Amino acid sequence: MPGADYGATRFSALSQINAQNARRLRPLWSFSTGVLGGHEGQPLVVNDTMYVVTPWPNVLYAFDLTQEGYPLRWKYRPAVSPNALGAACCDSVNRGAFFADGRILYNLLDGHTVAVDAASGRQLWSTQVADMQAGETTPMAPLVAKDRVIVGASGGEFGIYGWLKALDLKTGAIVWTAHNLGPDADMLIRPGTFRPPYDQGTDLGVHTWARESWRTGGAPVWGSITYDPELDLIYYGTGNAGPYNAEQRAGDNKWTSSVLARRPEDGALVWAYQFTPHDSWDYDATGTMILADLVIGGKPVKALVHFDKNGFAYTLDRASGRVLVAAPFASLNWAKSVDLATGRPVVDPSKQTGASKGNVKDICPSLEGGVSPSSPGAYSPRTHLFYTSVNNLCMDSVVTQAAYIKGTPYMSSTNPYSAGPGGNRGGFIAWDATTGRKAWEDKESYPTWSGTLVTAGDVVFYGTLDGWFKAVDARSGKLLSKFKVGSGVVGNPMSFRGPDGRQYVAIYAGIGGDWALLTGDFISADPADVRAPAPYMKDIARRTSQGGIVWIFGL
Amino acid sequence: MDLRPVSSARRFSSTRAGAADHLAALLAALLLGACTQQPASPPAEQSAAPPSVRYDSHLAADEQLPPGANPLNPKAGDPATVKAGETLFGTMNCDGCHGGAGSGWVGPSLADGRWRYGGSDAAVFASIYYGRPKGMPAFGGKLGIDGVWTLVSYVKSLPVPADIATESWESAH
Repeated sequence: MPGADYGATRFSALSQINAQNARRLRPLWSFSTGVLGGHEGQPLVVNDTMYVVTPWPNVLYAFDLTQEGYPLRWKYRPAVSPNALGAACCDSVNRGAFFADGRILYNLLDGHTVAVDAASGRQLWSTQVADMQAGETTPMAPLVAKDRVIVGASGGEFGIYGWLKALDLKTGAIVWTAHNLGPDADMLIRPGTFRPPYDQGTDLGVHTWARESWRTGGAPVWGSITYDPELDLIYYGTGNAGPYNAEQRAGDNKWTSSVLARRPEDGALVWAYQFTPHDSWDYDATGTMILADLVIGGKPVKALVHFDKNGFAYTLDRASGRVLVAAPFASLNWAKSVDLATGRPVVDPSKQTGASKGNVKDICPSLEGGVSPSSPGAYSPRTHLFYTSVNNLCMDSVVTQAAYIKGTPYMSSTNPYSAGPGGNRGGFIAWDATTGRKAWEDKESYPTWSGTLVTAGDVVFYGTLDGWFKAVDARSGKLLSKFKVGSGVVGNPMSFRGPDGRQYVAIYAGIGGDWALLTGDFISADPADVRAPAPYMKDIARRTSQGGIVWIFGL
Repeated sequence: MDLRPVSSARRFSSTRAGAADHLAALLAALLLGACTQQPASPPAEQSAAPPSVRYDSHLAADEQLPPGANPLNPKAGDPATVKAGETLFGTMNCDGCHGGAGSGWVGPSLADGRWRYGGSDAAVFASIYYGRPKGMPAFGGKLGIDGVWTLVSYVKSLPVPADIATESWESAH
């Protein structure tokens, strides 16, 4: 599955590659995907076959790992609409596939979920789940829990009415649709089953929005979903409220920028917690909800750990949704702290943006977040540490009144970025979620946009925007190995055991994604689109350009 | 079917006299569903569909460009129209894809003097009016002919840097 396990710990139990021998890591194989969009997500390896989903046009490659050179067993080229390229806010990315019941499940950017036979590559079903005309697209990775394929849609910049859907694994039929805002009936909130830790009342998804603004309020689902089979709950984060001008939607705007826990069977909402009430900074909460069993204050806790775009890292009790720990993991000044009694951030009113506020300066983090939700972290049960990429960017913000026109962006803001305190624009950290403290940090010159892999060999892997793939010591952060992979890394490393019994590590190169839209001078493929470098990153195009490559490393 | 130009076609200059005008009128008539021998009254200009655009930038088999019009922007260069177009660029959410001042975001830059689908006023008009297949919505239904010309006036007024082709990280020689 995309996150290595249901809890998305991205921990590999393989240990042949360790902190002593990782300096001998070398590239063993590579393959050009032929696609130029941002290569987020990760390969899947099942039954000696490696599956790779590309960004739009969402080709699915199946590589035979038993033969020299890993030739393709087949490739699947779905009919996917080119309109998706413009309906998607933030590049043509895809965040990966899920394997279940002998089939590969993934989303096409144009709003379809497909099931493909993992052996033959034949399409079993295709279901339209999202409406591009309404600004909905589907880059996220599905999750299969029981016989439900759970999917959501992007469109927080298009004023969508955000939702989560469950499809029948066998047939692709839509079983339930749960909105993330709006009336209780639309949200699948049923009397007696919804127990939010800090809120009470009915129709909060309506009453926390001025006028009828919930109807175009956003709350997209574009990150990943996790699942606890024992509690039988799925967990996912919702994105920003729309439009960016928060004055058009007075109130908390529930349940945008929140984590929601639902039953996979019928979609019933069990609890919800809002990280950023009345979001005015584009602080999506779509980053992964990592599930791990921790010991806090001597007590075992079924925890959910989340690195939010708003710069706080949260440790929650995943049965109740109560916040146990909330502490800044990135440069942050929009709030002073999180009140654990109420769960609410203590907001600095001078950092509140809005059409009446003019230019609000020096807000940290920027709307790219303390970490991108598309850069999932990892957890090692050996070191008891979490690992994640971080961004160190701040922004000025000018927000204006936005008009809703269906199928067009619903944003209206200008947000120039600058490097945060220290001058480095990114980094990589190890985090103790029981205390809310950093264990170590490696600074990076550029924002760090890759996902994370940690292994039982106590090696952590991540990539950088200027195209270095790095292995570092899980206990100290010391650099063990690095290699320039040909394009910036925005994908997620993963590890697998090959048919020969050896441990390998795979990673995509292929710069792109949300940040890239503001830094368009790394695009070389379109002679009709030539842009000046972004002021906050004048030098990135000197070091990398577009191009998707799958890499495999080993000893 | 009447192939004489209807009044709405008169605002477009023809580059191929006769055939282009006739085709333009035919297209307009078809799109309006005006298949009567003699329309009782000419359609209002706002509701008329513009003719097909002749793309001089395309290669043509045997150098024979198909018929089509090169409609002229009736508001070209008018400062008040440019200003109104700048406002429209925001209120129609164009900046949400093309960036502030058309500097480029998920949609291509409009301020680099480079054009995927042709940079003549007529070609830019066609792109906005009818949309383009990589997700550019058709705005003709929302804005009408005058609104689209107003946007064309603004987009074509954006300043283009002198040397767009070279980006150097070396210090000046």
